[in-house]
Amino acid sequence: MDLFAQRKIYSVYEITAEIKQALDKFGVLWVKGEISNFKHHSSGHMYFSLKDDRAQLKAAFFRNNNLYLKFRPEDGLEVLARGRLSLYEPRGDYQIIVEYLEPVGVGSLQLAFEQLKQKLRSEGLFEEEHKVRLPLLPGKVGVVTSPTGAAIQDMLRILRRRNASLDILIYPARVQGAGAAEEIAAGVKYFNTRNDIDVIIVGRGGGSMEDLWAFNEEVVARAIYASEIPLISAVGHEVDFTIADFVADLRAPTPSAAAEMVSGAREDLLATVGSLSGRALQAVRLLMERRRSALERVARNRAFNIAPNKVRELQQRFDEATSRMHQTTARYLTALRHRERVLQLRLIKVDLRQTIARHREILAGKRNRLQSSVQAWLKGRRSQLEVEAGRMNALSPLSILERGYAICRHEQGEILRDAARVVPGDRVAVTLAHGEIDCRVERIK
Amino acid sequence: MKMKDFESNLKTLEEIVSKLESGDLTLDKALELFEEGVKISRYCNAKLEEAERKVATLIKGADGSMAEVPFAAEGEDAAK
Repeated sequence: MDLFAQRKIYSVYEITAEIKQALDKFGVLWVKGEISNFKHHSSGHMYFSLKDDRAQLKAAFFRNNNLYLKFRPEDGLEVLARGRLSLYEPRGDYQIIVEYLEPVGVGSLQLAFEQLKQKLRSEGLFEEEHKVRLPLLPGKVGVVTSPTGAAIQDMLRILRRRNASLDILIYPARVQGAGAAEEIAAGVKYFNTRNDIDVIIVGRGGGSMEDLWAFNEEVVARAIYASEIPLISAVGHEVDFTIADFVADLRAPTPSAAAEMVSGAREDLLATVGSLSGRALQAVRLLMERRRSALERVARNRAFNIAPNKVRELQQRFDEATSRMHQTTARYLTALRHRERVLQLRLIKVDLRQTIARHREILAGKRNRLQSSVQAWLKGRRSQLEVEAGRMNALSPLSILERGYAICRHEQGEILRDAARVVPGDRVAVTLAHGEIDCRVERIK
Repeated sequence: MKMKDFESNLKTLEEIVSKLESGDLTLDKALELFEEGVKISRYCNAKLEEAERKVATLIKGADGSMAEVPFAAEGEDAAK
């Protein structure tokens, strides 16, 4: 056999083409290996090698495929790569063109979570020193959440139940899906531009890790860290922890718990203020008592030889101070009691006012009627009086005289009615309406 | 209602009380502080007993500006 005649001699190109064909036959395949020499170009393309303890395989992961990646590939990471083998003829090297990459042993989301948590923690975003205390009595809360979700309804219900006088302003944002993280971050930033927000709540209801993912994104974490307004993160259920929870000033296990946190202090604060007032009063009383006994001691001590005037002066100042204090206390207590009474009477007062008005009307009506009946009675009496007076006048002797009659009196003064009582020659006095005449009887008719 | 007003007032009240309790004051000064304390505690009580609440949501206008509109919770009137 002629060895030289039977041997096929390939050109470099030919053999390369054969190899390429053989590689193509694999089609889409999965390769498991450890990442090494990882480079992330500014172009967005990723280049690395997959290796095990005996061999290595170059890999290229182009931008349009690697954009979706949540975790950060790094050297040493064990991964599963899906792709096609390719051969670059000019250089004679082969590689796998990766379409999809996932970590081995842990979910890619979980890995991404751990990576970001590590990165932000080392930057100090979770530091306790950076976190600020919530205000004791917030006036206005900014809530970044979905306006149609359950979270906001839960929060409002809690606030209504606690009767908190809290104003709420909602920044509506998507809480999952593409773009949600950017909207949430925008909400936090927006509230920080206002000067009337006392505390921010960022939250949503429960869901899977995918659903809550927006709250694990770096843009949200940084916006929360940058917030100068105190911020509570309230994402999902008690067991869910997101990056937002680590960066926030306070974590609430649920949105309802956040509402409780933000409205909680009212009762306690009322008690605190009450106790402080009581202590103040007590302290002043004690002070005055001490001063008084010190004053007495000094006054009693002859060695000091304080002039009686001075003692009296000090006594007087002390008494004035005591009465001032009592007045202040009394005014304060009166004001408190008055307020209570006012509140109680408000309802009754409304009715009373109407009742009083009604009674006043009735009284006025009765008074008018009384007045007119009295006047009528007086009028009647007066006219009656006039009638009687007229009658009296008619019967008076004077008016009889006016009509022309005369009164004839005997010398002895007796009034004459009978002509037989006189004889001619007697003297009689005649009283007329005007004047009197002395007469002598001439003849009896 | 600004949160700072209430908190700083409460803090002042606490300071007044500890000054009074220290016993280290002239009578006049003590009464002065006491009267101030009474004023402050009345203010704090008034703030704590406010009961109004407003719920609103933001709407972004075409020009990017933000407007507030009332927000109704389920079971409440929209006009509240």
